Amino acid sequence: MNRILTIIAVLSIAASSSASAETIKFEDSAALLGAACARDIDANCRGVNLDPQRMKDCLVRNQDVLSPQCKGEYSRAFDAIQKRVAARLAVFKLCERDIVKLCPSVQKGDRGAAVDCLLAGPRGIGINCGKSLGEAGYR
Amino acid sequence: MRPTNIPRVTGLCLAVLVALGALPASAQAPSPAAPTSEEWIKKLSGLATEPDLDLAELKKQAAERIKARVEPIPNKRPLMAPELNKLPHFFAEILFDEDAAVVRPDSYRTLGRIADTLTHPSMLGYKFLIVGHTASGGRRDFNLTLSQRRADVIRDVLVNTFKVSPKRLVTLGLGEEQLLDRAKPGAPVNRQIQIATVASAIEAHAPPAAPAAAAPAKAGAHKSKR
Repeated sequence: MNRILTIIAVLSIAASSSASAETIKFEDSAALLGAACARDIDANCRGVNLDPQRMKDCLVRNQDVLSPQCKGEYSRAFDAIQKRVAARLAVFKLCERDIVKLCPSVQKGDRGAAVDCLLAGPRGIGINCGKSLGEAGYR
Repeated sequence: MRPTNIPRVTGLCLAVLVALGALPASAQAPSPAAPTSEEWIKKLSGLATEPDLDLAELKKQAAERIKARVEPIPNKRPLMAPELNKLPHFFAEILFDEDAAVVRPDSYRTLGRIADTLTHPSMLGYKFLIVGHTASGGRRDFNLTLSQRRADVIRDVLVNTFKVSPKRLVTLGLGEEQLLDRAKPGAPVNRQIQIATVASAIEAHAPPAAPAAAAPAKAGAHKSKR
């Protein structure tokens, strides 16, 4: 019983740490989609631009005829883009107080200067804020 | 000896090229000359003064100039908006479906790279102009409209897919009215997308208690804020 619990604990730690790993560049996720699905898009989604709704809908609609390569990668590519977008939004939620407290000279709304200030590693930066900077790929 | 060798070498090169061309897109490495987002960030930095751009007026002038058939010979046409080339800017090669505003999947990587560039912390404080250009050929008025639609599509992808704030992006299509290589009006190099830094994106708030001189921690990375 104890052993099972240990395994579950280890697994959940592994899962949460992989979930909080640094997200990948937009360039890489977009390239993944372009490389895996170029032919499928030409054959089935002509005239559709890169778009998280319209392109994804088109690929989902054509599931049955997609190449295995595209089928296996397209959700991964869109998820990767979504993850980085979410990670970047999260920085400004998780660091809101840190910015006010540690970066007083940064003008409200100047996100670029706020990130620069946080990256300079001011003393007393919150754990969650610090972690979010890594996840967003700002470090 | 030598003259007989040359054709053989050329033949081999051709064979290699043909073999490369037959590989699936995924197996092709990006061309060695592909720029990085770091290079583009450098090119977009350092906006000295905000230009006084009237995009609606520029669009009107371009359409009028085409209607009046000003300078039918492409390489003699004066540039429509030479001031754009003085702004911090870069050019990106993006492939579209022929005569359409649909980005080819081969260019998704480049779209992602543009998104990485514009969402880099040092770029977050700025607004950008996306300029569409076409090579010369076909109807001038069609090319003008096409380049505007293509610039709009780049904006839409950046906004919808990569969640760049729409407030930070404006677009302009210049068709073949501002050729990038006037010596070769029909060359593909003229079809590039140009992205220029045009303004601060930081909305005017009540001025902070400290004077502006004390504000930016990294000089040069951010321009003076209003």
